[in-house]
Amino acid sequence: MSDIDIVVEICGSAGEGTISAGEILSRFMSEEGYDIMSFDSYPAEIRGFGKCVAHSRISRTRVLTPGKYSDVLIALNDSHSISQLPVLKEQGVLIYDNKPPKYHDEDKSIAGWLEPGMIPYGIPLNELAIKAAGNARGRNMVALGAFAALFGISQDAFIQSVKRRYGKKKQVVIDNNVDSFVEGFNWTRDNVRKIDFHLFDSSPSDVKRDQLIINGNEAVARGALAAGLHLYAGYPITPATKIMEILSKELPKKGGVFLQTEDEISSIGHVMGAGFAGKRAMTGTSGPGFCLMSEFTGLSVMAEVPAVIVNSQRGGPSTGLPTKHEQSDLNIALFGGSGDSPRVVIAPTSVDQCYQAAVLALYIAEKYQTLVILLIDFFLSNSIKNLDPPPPPDPRYLNANIAPGKDELKDYKRYQITENGISPRTIPGTPGGMFFSTGLEHDERGKPVYDTKTHTLMTEKRFRKHREILKEIPEPRITGWEGQGDIGVVSWGSSAGAAEEAVILACEKGLKVGSFSSMVLSPFPANALVRFCDRFKTILVPEMNYSGQFANMIAPIVTRPVMRLNMVTGLPMASEDILKKIKEIK
Amino acid sequence: MPKNDHYVIIGNGPAGNLAADTLRDSDPDARITIVSNESMTYYYRHKLTEFIKGKAREEDLTVRPYSVYKDKNIRLRLGQQVDKIDPNKKIIYLKHMETVSYTKLIIATGASPRALPSVSNFSKCLNVLSTYSDALAQIPMINKNKTFLVLGGDIISFKFIRMLKDMGKEVTTLLYSEAFWPFSLEADMAQQVKKSLSDKGVTVISDDHIKSVKKSGEAFDIVTEKGLNQSFDSVYSFLGMIPNIRFILGSGIDTDRGILVDDHLKTNFDDVYAAGDCAQIYNPDMKSYWLSIGWNNAKIQGTLAAQNLLGAHKVINPAPQKILEVEGLKINTSWWESF
Repeated sequence: MSDIDIVVEICGSAGEGTISAGEILSRFMSEEGYDIMSFDSYPAEIRGFGKCVAHSRISRTRVLTPGKYSDVLIALNDSHSISQLPVLKEQGVLIYDNKPPKYHDEDKSIAGWLEPGMIPYGIPLNELAIKAAGNARGRNMVALGAFAALFGISQDAFIQSVKRRYGKKKQVVIDNNVDSFVEGFNWTRDNVRKIDFHLFDSSPSDVKRDQLIINGNEAVARGALAAGLHLYAGYPITPATKIMEILSKELPKKGGVFLQTEDEISSIGHVMGAGFAGKRAMTGTSGPGFCLMSEFTGLSVMAEVPAVIVNSQRGGPSTGLPTKHEQSDLNIALFGGSGDSPRVVIAPTSVDQCYQAAVLALYIAEKYQTLVILLIDFFLSNSIKNLDPPPPPDPRYLNANIAPGKDELKDYKRYQITENGISPRTIPGTPGGMFFSTGLEHDERGKPVYDTKTHTLMTEKRFRKHREILKEIPEPRITGWEGQGDIGVVSWGSSAGAAEEAVILACEKGLKVGSFSSMVLSPFPANALVRFCDRFKTILVPEMNYSGQFANMIAPIVTRPVMRLNMVTGLPMASEDILKKIKEIK
Repeated sequence: MPKNDHYVIIGNGPAGNLAADTLRDSDPDARITIVSNESMTYYYRHKLTEFIKGKAREEDLTVRPYSVYKDKNIRLRLGQQVDKIDPNKKIIYLKHMETVSYTKLIIATGASPRALPSVSNFSKCLNVLSTYSDALAQIPMINKNKTFLVLGGDIISFKFIRMLKDMGKEVTTLLYSEAFWPFSLEADMAQQVKKSLSDKGVTVISDDHIKSVKKSGEAFDIVTEKGLNQSFDSVYSFLGMIPNIRFILGSGIDTDRGILVDDHLKTNFDDVYAAGDCAQIYNPDMKSYWLSIGWNNAKIQGTLAAQNLLGAHKVINPAPQKILEVEGLKINTSWWESF
């Protein structure tokens, strides 16, 4: 079996089929049993013009990051692709159109920028697409055909995959795509002498046809649906909009309610209303929208109304960098709001964790009658991963409301002080279960009260919930060196994959390095972190923000020196950067 | 010169590189671009046989690594073929469909293997060895095959034959008298060459011509006019070199066998010069043109073309080296006069 592990980038202009070509390739490779991770980037303006890159890592072993550098660059648009050449590895392969319909201006042709160590394959993409389908729209499929021929991919298997992908389209669409692919494949097979060394298995033994190939947004949406989401209210914003798109179609099919509201304040208002009415509800947004929602976050905590907000972080502050990656909303997720406002923050580290995190978020919000922030980011939202279909959630996650018993309803106290902080909750309309609900501090029946004792007791009660939540959150993931070592890498969110990969590479080089990440950041499993950190001399915290928000959060817990790796490149964290830092510290 | 001058040099051999160095030394701010159809940077072509034998590594071939071009701020366009030139608009059209504008141009494209009319019917069956890419592609085949037929007579063929013998191959050579290049051998000298080859275990055939070459499985069946009928694993052709000027034809730049230049190496266009093996240089004393060959000549001409392009008025010396060595024979020749 081939131990291939390569990164393929397809670069083109919006509307050239760049992203769909990447998706077709990733889907096929997944079906052939490879582990894949894809990450697409596209212009902020979304449609029209601008550079798109479909970036896919394909490997026989488990993929934790999309990879910083590429092994293959397929250039569908020369001028855009030139800027991807710096990330093409030594001996990297370039597939480009050597017979475009007209001359490029000086320096606008990618073939003009070839350097020693690059392996170029000029393919007449445009000509072959026209030959196959009468127009140039199929250039992306011609390029995939060339790729398949060069790298030992079965033509028949790929065609079957394309047919499955376009199964519901008109026959002419299927035919044009297949014909373009075949044209590219045959031309390359007959005319190109392969001089690179990449080859896939011609007959893979681990074919998987039933895997999901989804991004983090879709995983969140699927998780929420599986967890019994009833209402989603949202306002479109990159990079969270896809959640909304999916739920707008899928939620009504399950008898749920989907609302596109006039703004983010209205969205969270609807979610609060649904939560108050006893329904599982969620909204999704990004940093700028989350800022608008922050007044309501306090109400969720104070009135103890379940609410889930998905915040897919992007570059900030303000409207910032809509299509760039960053992890800089941790502070606002943890602390954004007035008063002592304990909130649950769940930050999944991978696409499959996005599914689990959505289930967990709706469960915790309902059971603990509080605000849960599901903190993902641009990379996770857009990162495409193949994974086995997750099993349905444990039934205990589906109906978690702790309702009052008959005796309790005789003298119902909606905000009863309890040992675990959870008060029995009635759904409006429950006979005997009426109560006041307000954003003001209140007594056990919900009536506004401002005295010192009540505020102290109620604050303590709200914080006690976190002590209980801590008992049910997933164990932190700890990998790498198991004994006393040199460097412990503590990471969060989507940077955890890069951290884990860097630790694997460091251990292979004989370094004593370990990795720690927790999906839940608030409440935080501090004891587990302390135990982990006690094993290492130095702690390294890599994160994609400038100020070291997570490092600031854990520094008071940790008794070891905390080194930081902070980047605001707009790109996902790369294992290479963490490994470099590890070596510097060592 | 204004700072936005763009000097373009086509060809990355000795003439092209010396021209670029001269331009850079004189004009630190100018844009300088070298266009090369080779995938490798400036290298010693005469070491290719050592490379094939495995006695020289890629770095041993390299005259100038890519980093040097970057250091000198010379844009080296590798693997790019010129399709045509419009000297009126001062635009070069590259085969991969890109245009490059220039203010001054030096053409230093060298020469490439010649296909004689007598072998044109079966030229597809003939291998040539001229570039690093050729060598790279042919190494597996040369290593694998045992019997070789070399149609030859040019100076490179003798070197190639020696390489094959060093590798333990069975070699037959068919000497084409019209292919002796870059000179015609006198009869007694030709006899000495044949003897030298025979002494090395090479089967030498002369005064004969190929009638047909047919592919038969992995091998090639050869029939000559005098009745030889034999099969070989590979057939190579070394029938001399011709200047690389195909892309010039029709551009308006005057050509004959090579690019016609005056004794300042300037073409009929003021901003276009030619140097090295591709140039056919006017000799005012003889009132005729001569073709140049050789590494050192190319270097001299590349330097001089750049100097003149920058405003000098230097005249090329039409008396380059006359001593060539063929199979151990030192031959004093004035070959360019009768070429």
